[in-house]
Amino acid sequence: MKLSALFAAGLPFSMTAFAAEKSGHAEAGLIAGVASYQPGKTVPVGIKLKIEPGWHSYWVNPGVGGMPMSAKWTLPAGWKAGELQAPVPKRFKTGDLPGFGYEGEAIYRVDLTPPAGSSGEAELKVALSWLTCNESACVPGDVELSLKLPAGDGAASKEAAVLAEAEKKIPKSVDSSSSAVFEKDGQVVLAFTVPGGIDPEGSQAFPATAEVVDAAAPIVLKKSEQGWTASAPKDEYANGPAKAYDLVLSGGKLAHPVIVQWRGK
Amino acid sequence: MKQHTFLGAVLGAMICSSTAWAIEPGDAAPAFSVKNTKGEEVTLASQKGKVVVLEWVNYECPFVKKHYGSGNIPKLQEKYTGKDVVWITVNSSAEGQQGYLAATELGERSKKEGNKASQIVLDTDGAVGKAYGAKTTPHLFVIDKEGKVAYNGAIDSKDTTDVKDIESADSYISNAIDAVLAGKTVDNAKTKPYGCGVKYASK
Repeated sequence: MKLSALFAAGLPFSMTAFAAEKSGHAEAGLIAGVASYQPGKTVPVGIKLKIEPGWHSYWVNPGVGGMPMSAKWTLPAGWKAGELQAPVPKRFKTGDLPGFGYEGEAIYRVDLTPPAGSSGEAELKVALSWLTCNESACVPGDVELSLKLPAGDGAASKEAAVLAEAEKKIPKSVDSSSSAVFEKDGQVVLAFTVPGGIDPEGSQAFPATAEVVDAAAPIVLKKSEQGWTASAPKDEYANGPAKAYDLVLSGGKLAHPVIVQWRGK
Repeated sequence: MKQHTFLGAVLGAMICSSTAWAIEPGDAAPAFSVKNTKGEEVTLASQKGKVVVLEWVNYECPFVKKHYGSGNIPKLQEKYTGKDVVWITVNSSAEGQQGYLAATELGERSKKEGNKASQIVLDTDGAVGKAYGAKTTPHLFVIDKEGKVAYNGAIDSKDTTDVKDIESADSYISNAIDAVLAGKTVDNAKTKPYGCGVKYASK
């Protein structure tokens, strides 16, 4: 088929293949949502981790054993990197150990913001460290990735659609100011409210904060008078009452995953 | 619930999820009998009256590499065996799993890693690991002179694979052994162990 015919057909045709670096049992690559940056305007970036079948990587709360992925950015002067935002994990067991993380593919999100008045080509570098395990072994991965962006009009890149799709799996914060945490009969209960239009009915809950609730136990969601409660047995390693508790909710009647973030006084 | 069915349920739960629970400080340390890398028998009973440290190992695990590559664990082994502590390195990797080494090879590899433990033992069927609820490599236990578990948990407070984190970490294991040697109660007697899962036989 002629090249011109391909373009005419409007088929997606990417000139640049996804450049991934392999390490251990996974490969990682960077995706930018824009083809150029504008000074002072946030650049949406994705970190795509592709894990070999049979292996898994770990979430921010890895469960028992394991290690979350870390990202250390080296950016041009004045550029700022936001927090690494992880997609909703799945639960798995490594032997008897309960864990949270990923199989197959996971796309993390980070916001990178250039300073006002920046110009010229920006080289955005990141050092990633992760751990993949299976029932028999654990193998780390370490790569250095780089992405070059010219200054420009900030138009969408060819990967913008991939990034937009990935964002659907990144939990969004909900107003947690009226949430509360209490203990009852060995259970830790997070009581929270959600704004109208958000319905956690039938959703799965994942504890993003380690050592609050037992990683092996399902978190039970119940409607309450004021809103909702999420209950699970207290983690055996919890050192006194919880000081912070982040809870991710996904699926069921939720149009988009959410994260409730409670902080103790 | 009838008394015997309740006990049955508790025992059943313990057997089914053998590493899902943790031995509590103050519990009697489970007896064991294993062979060291020279094929000699090593038992808990024969350490009676001594402070014993059990250290779970898998030389291929990046968390273990952090503590051996830096010399951290060998230094601890040397320091405390010098204070009459019996330090036992335990390998519970099943055959075919990461970290498994037959007796002679385990001895040679341990020497290469600078291991200075009193004993290096093979727990290939995982019986000792499961009796103690050893979850990760590394995972440390301190047993006092009365045969009670005084510490169960992580080697230190920084659950990473980065060697640079050792210096600034709270050395839970040193604090625990020092307390036991001084006849004091251990602060932080139970902490969450970190590392790779112990590679018991896959189901």
